[in-house]
Amino acid sequence: MDLDPGTHVDRVELCRVLRAASIAGRHVRIAGGGSGGHRGRRSHGHADIVSTLGLDRTISHEPADLVATVEAGVPVARLQDELAAHGQTWIHAPSIPGSTVGGLLSRAASGHRRLRYGALRDSVLQIVVVTGDGRLVSAGGKTVKGVAGYDIPRLVVGSNGALGVIVEVTLKLWPMPRTSAWFTARGGTAELADLGEAVRRSIHQPASILLGPDRLDVELIGPDADLLAPAGMTPDQAPPVFGAAGLLEIGVPAAALPDLAVRLARREYAFQAQLGVGTCLAAIDDRSQRDEIRAMAITAGGHAVVVDGPDDLRDDPWGPPPAGMEIMCRLKAAFDPAGILNRGQFIGDPVGTR
Amino acid sequence: MRTVITPSTIDRFRTIVGSERVLAETLERLVYAKDASMNQGECGVAVLCETTAEVAACMRVAADLGLPVVPRGSGTSLAGSAIPLDGSVVISVARMGRVLSVDADTPCAWVEPGVLNLDLTAAVDHLGLHYAPDPSSQAACSIGGNVGTNAGGPHCLASGVTSQHILGMEVVLPDGQVLTIGGPAPDPPGLDLRGFLVGAEGTLGIVTKVCVRLTRNPPVVRTLLVDFTSLTAAGAAVRDIIAKGVIPAAMEMMDRTMTRAVEAFVHAGLPLDAAAVLLVEVDGTAAQVASDADVVEAICRESGASNIRVAVDEAERALFWKARKNAFGACARIAPNYYLHDCVVPRTRLVEVLAAIEEIASRNELVIMNVFHAGDGNLHPLISFDRRDDAQVTRVLRAGHEIIEVCMRVGGTLSGEHGIGMEKRDFMPMQFGVADLDAQARSREAFDPEGRMNPRKVLPSGSKCGDLIFSPDDLPEGTWI
Repeated sequence: MDLDPGTHVDRVELCRVLRAASIAGRHVRIAGGGSGGHRGRRSHGHADIVSTLGLDRTISHEPADLVATVEAGVPVARLQDELAAHGQTWIHAPSIPGSTVGGLLSRAASGHRRLRYGALRDSVLQIVVVTGDGRLVSAGGKTVKGVAGYDIPRLVVGSNGALGVIVEVTLKLWPMPRTSAWFTARGGTAELADLGEAVRRSIHQPASILLGPDRLDVELIGPDADLLAPAGMTPDQAPPVFGAAGLLEIGVPAAALPDLAVRLARREYAFQAQLGVGTCLAAIDDRSQRDEIRAMAITAGGHAVVVDGPDDLRDDPWGPPPAGMEIMCRLKAAFDPAGILNRGQFIGDPVGTR
Repeated sequence: MRTVITPSTIDRFRTIVGSERVLAETLERLVYAKDASMNQGECGVAVLCETTAEVAACMRVAADLGLPVVPRGSGTSLAGSAIPLDGSVVISVARMGRVLSVDADTPCAWVEPGVLNLDLTAAVDHLGLHYAPDPSSQAACSIGGNVGTNAGGPHCLASGVTSQHILGMEVVLPDGQVLTIGGPAPDPPGLDLRGFLVGAEGTLGIVTKVCVRLTRNPPVVRTLLVDFTSLTAAGAAVRDIIAKGVIPAAMEMMDRTMTRAVEAFVHAGLPLDAAAVLLVEVDGTAAQVASDADVVEAICRESGASNIRVAVDEAERALFWKARKNAFGACARIAPNYYLHDCVVPRTRLVEVLAAIEEIASRNELVIMNVFHAGDGNLHPLISFDRRDDAQVTRVLRAGHEIIEVCMRVGGTLSGEHGIGMEKRDFMPMQFGVADLDAQARSREAFDPEGRMNPRKVLPSGSKCGDLIFSPDDLPEGTWI
């Protein structure tokens, strides 16, 4: 049964739909705003579509607590507008046109200010999911701090819908930075990497240091006195959002990233590296490029995951299996015993079935 | 069911670590039957491991014999998480105390779990770095224990709790298998097992190495000690500072009873007539600190602060913090024992909850003192009592229950940073429904299918429901079953 986007799906109905699908062994694909690109392995065969767009209520926003509870289908742009009216923001979130709160969480898409504010998953206080077999499970708590029970929210964030459909979350918010400024420098990658690292060492808590093959962009947040151009840089607009048809997300120790960036530039790849964080997006056209970059990342102590791209790039989206695969598979079975959710999106899904 | 440790079992542990490090005498086992909570358990045998290989070998013996295992760091748990029940094997990692490597550029470090929190910060201070989570017990508690409880501390207000500062770990699973989960490279593929292991209170495995995020020291720090003539005014100041868009590095509150106890102990010049004392720290660049401190001072004055004292130097700042962090020790001046709670409530409900706690104290004829992380609403009502007085103990437990009920009623959380352990285990149904607890139990089983790791902690018995069959038509909104 396909649920039309826009139909108001309440969580009770979602429980019923997934329970029935589990019993019948029908595969289900979870859809949000459709902004997430193509992830995981290509999927074969039919899957019912469950859209979260009907789950679009802002349940509560308590400005004095810096906490908001929203349904998963709420568009991030709308949420940010609602928060901005109170001088607040979900600072951990990237601004991706069309994205929903649940969509960002399912792929753990952190924003460009991660260097200063941390990863997206750090902003999730409570999460409510419907499991593959139709159980409504709530985990975490609505307060800004809490250690009661197991950290299921962290398992769900970044699981690409493998464990359940996110229906509601409580988010930790931040005051909207009153003043911020971007600075840029152009030149060769090696010099820019050095400049970026110098900024990281000399300036207290820069919000963002983005390095590309021929440009370095730095965002600073703070009172006006702190928004002076770093040495060698000039004021500028925010850089364009990085995107490509085939996209690889690299994670290496932050100390190893400048060197990796220089090597990518030498091989003439387009990329955007978040210095200090250790993540880097790179544009790829084919499997040999994917494998070359992945090998570089692994040598540097990290990994490279295909986060968007055509089917052929996604025959091996994750690379070598991480430690703990057996546990991950048991967790998947605990939440989605029939294995109906988002086939191909879970790292432990069998290759080449259906 | 009581576990029986036989002489041949003890011999098997001795073969692994040597006789000196297997503690099986009555008195030795008594020491390992307690932690810093009110509870007492029963330790079958305690094994002091010094390497991952030793931990793994001990875990294989336990798996072979089907023995329950309780991991232990410094034993400072306030929730009974480190207490062995019914003769469990205690595996202590307190002797695994080396900082293995420091990467000053990332910056991060690999450390053994027995490294003490404050020692880690001291070890990287010369690099201009520190380890951000700073529980009040930081001079005694270990990083392994901090990982187990997802420990907090005053400075977690701006920098986040332990979970945000753990990049990876080496863990020995219940079957003796050794895994390295995560590390300094962000966002490894697959599920976030690292995040799930933090705060699991030793119920999933034993962490034998930890990769911690290190934080650069702020260039400027300003610490303010603010007196209020009423708790309500202090609570309002906390709420307004946050609402004004300032997230201080730390924002701590002490009530009058606690302030007096602490002052008599630490001699920091705390105001004895104030109804509440607020300790606020702002850090960052000089401009940021000046701007934030202006806001904090202005709001405190508007809220009716009677005095604001700014630490003039590092020595005075250290004295302010000594007063705060020694608060629990100072309680020994009031009564020999204390029962400490750890609920979190929405910041906007602080004042009414404090009033309710005061009422609970007077109705139960108890002294309840408050020293807590006001900035994030993490209360620490401390009930002082004398354990030798049975009637008083009954009132203490009743008051504790009432405090938890009040906090949960306003949308609170059972624990902000101490964990659930034994002490809050049976309160879990106040925060979680049947399906929620069942999901937690199933997740735990993914790591420990035999249920031998720190059994009977965190989840109340019967949390796992098996395969629940229900008619979807009977499902009311927002509930399950």
